[in-house]
Amino acid sequence: MNIYQPLLTTVTEVVDETADTRTLRLEFQDEAVREEFAFKAGQFGEYSVFGAGESTFCIASSPTREGYIECSFKAIGKVTTELREVNVGDTVGFRGPYGNWFPVDDWKGKDVVFVAGGIGLAPVRCVIWNVLDRRDEFGDVTIVYGARSVDDLVYKRELEEWGSRADVKMVTTVDPGGDTPDWTGEVGYVTPVVEKTAPKADNAVAVVCGPPIVVKLTLPVLEKLGFSDDAVFTTLENRMKCGLGKCGRCNIGPVYVCKDGPVFTAAQMKALPAEF
Amino acid sequence: MSDRYFISDADLRGLAADLLGAGTEVIAPVATDICQSPSAIAASACSLDHSLVDIDYRALGTADQLDLSRGLPQLSLKGYFLPEHEALCRWKQKGTTTEVIEVPTEFAPRVVLAAKACDAAALEVVDKVMNWDYEDELWNGRRAATTIVNLTCPMIDDSCFCTAVGAAPDDVKGADGLLTPVAGGYVYEPATDKGRALAEANKARFSGDVEADTLGREADDERAAARERVAANLEIDAASVRDWIDTHFEDPLLSQLAIRCNGCGACTSVCPTCHCFDIVDEQEGVGRGTRRRCWDTCQAPTFTLHASGHNPRDDQHVRYRQRINHKFAIYPLKFGEVLCTGCGRCTRVCHAGQDLVEILEAIDIAARRPGDDADPAADEPAEAAS
Repeated sequence: MNIYQPLLTTVTEVVDETADTRTLRLEFQDEAVREEFAFKAGQFGEYSVFGAGESTFCIASSPTREGYIECSFKAIGKVTTELREVNVGDTVGFRGPYGNWFPVDDWKGKDVVFVAGGIGLAPVRCVIWNVLDRRDEFGDVTIVYGARSVDDLVYKRELEEWGSRADVKMVTTVDPGGDTPDWTGEVGYVTPVVEKTAPKADNAVAVVCGPPIVVKLTLPVLEKLGFSDDAVFTTLENRMKCGLGKCGRCNIGPVYVCKDGPVFTAAQMKALPAEF
Repeated sequence: MSDRYFISDADLRGLAADLLGAGTEVIAPVATDICQSPSAIAASACSLDHSLVDIDYRALGTADQLDLSRGLPQLSLKGYFLPEHEALCRWKQKGTTTEVIEVPTEFAPRVVLAAKACDAAALEVVDKVMNWDYEDELWNGRRAATTIVNLTCPMIDDSCFCTAVGAAPDDVKGADGLLTPVAGGYVYEPATDKGRALAEANKARFSGDVEADTLGREADDERAAARERVAANLEIDAASVRDWIDTHFEDPLLSQLAIRCNGCGACTSVCPTCHCFDIVDEQEGVGRGTRRRCWDTCQAPTFTLHASGHNPRDDQHVRYRQRINHKFAIYPLKFGEVLCTGCGRCTRVCHAGQDLVEILEAIDIAARRPGDDADPAADEPAEAAS
């Protein structure tokens, strides 16, 4: 089996997160793969619909939840549009896990702050569950999540679950105008909400992911709050085909998102040339 | 046994015939009708008399097709190792069940005769990325199955610059042996076990008594002359060029050098080291199909276009910078080798007149010029000397 040949998975659950965003739960068809497959929070894979092709997303489920993987995607391109058509019982191809990961083990004893915008919660969700499933190893956990509107919030059931936990500080926000009459969360862009929430930076790490504008505006706020560039992590995406460092399109200057990333610290990101 | 053999012109053809007779595929330069060639796009400029006017690496049908009298083949050997498109796997679907069918990664032995040094060297350069942590079995399988014999370049033109990027017209990098023309035939020098095995298995075609002071010296002189001819075209300091590009990402010179490029991507197709590819699914009737990889080009805007519409390389000069950066800075920094073997094909095919010899010369000059950010200590001795 060559490195480009996908493993086969069966769709076991389909969740519509928003009007155009969907989560699939996938179980490997081969029993040995199902038992042996392991990954780390932050890694990604190539998901395929046979006949449409492959598309790159992070693994959105936590490595602590074994036996399946999940992916969340917006139906926006050729493959994702086809992927949105698959149902429970259908076959989806998967190659991975690829890339580096969030150094969760190094964060033991520290506070962890998560900041996500829109579908950027997918890669962060993996880390959130990874941390929550090992809750006693970490300090305070703060989650700030925002979307354009209430309808655009993904993982709604989990947002409620995290919000109801006493050991998580959960702040949910929607952009001005995106709220509904019964909305009880914040109204405002993610960045000012992070500033208002003001998680303490002492002995803490932050994970930021979202549309480029959210990441760009949040980094200076975290800096102002006292987070060092080495304590702020993000995950980047670029168009990929192989995921293995060979097809030659995901590099930002000398850095290959597929192999040197997708997880970078703010310090590493600032050293990248302006080409992403 | 001697490490140099003599093989006559007739025996070289005989060797090709023997290999073909034994069922071995032999790939070699063949004169082709340009109207039938990959550049048939230029067919409007073709004479219709179907005269043999160009040269390509082709699988020989008969030994007499072997043509050693012409220059660089139009396309490099790349396509014999990374085909323009190739199957990665096939699938069959019935209901919700899908079966994936593997493609073979072992290939029948084959021999390349009279390869150009730049084309063989390119294979060894690309070996690095094809084995970067993940081993590309399709590439490696074809590499392992192939014995490559180079021919010291008989024809060198103004676009050749292999010696400026660490290669040479008589190099055996990436190859298993080297033929150098001498009176009445060639001196053959094996470079690897595969190259020695070729001579061993076809002993009758080779004679082992190459005298160092006659034929040996003639071959050495021929090789030195070829190197000298190329070296006259371009001389750069590849390490300074690498460091300059790496530290001058936003330098206006890189945009200026890209100004004529209109992004057709011809340079990447003919390049022996450009290996970027796309992966696409091809439905072949109901419920079955093939996943293929195809050559792709970093010069196309769609290469890096996100589904969201965002494109990190949204302008042609930025895409041209990527090509230069990848070849002369990124790859050398990652793998210690320039992703270019100086074949000059990109210059020859460019209809806009982008000339890599000129471009590298310009970067080399910039890299040697003491700038604001240059280490002042490094310039001191030069100033003292003047």
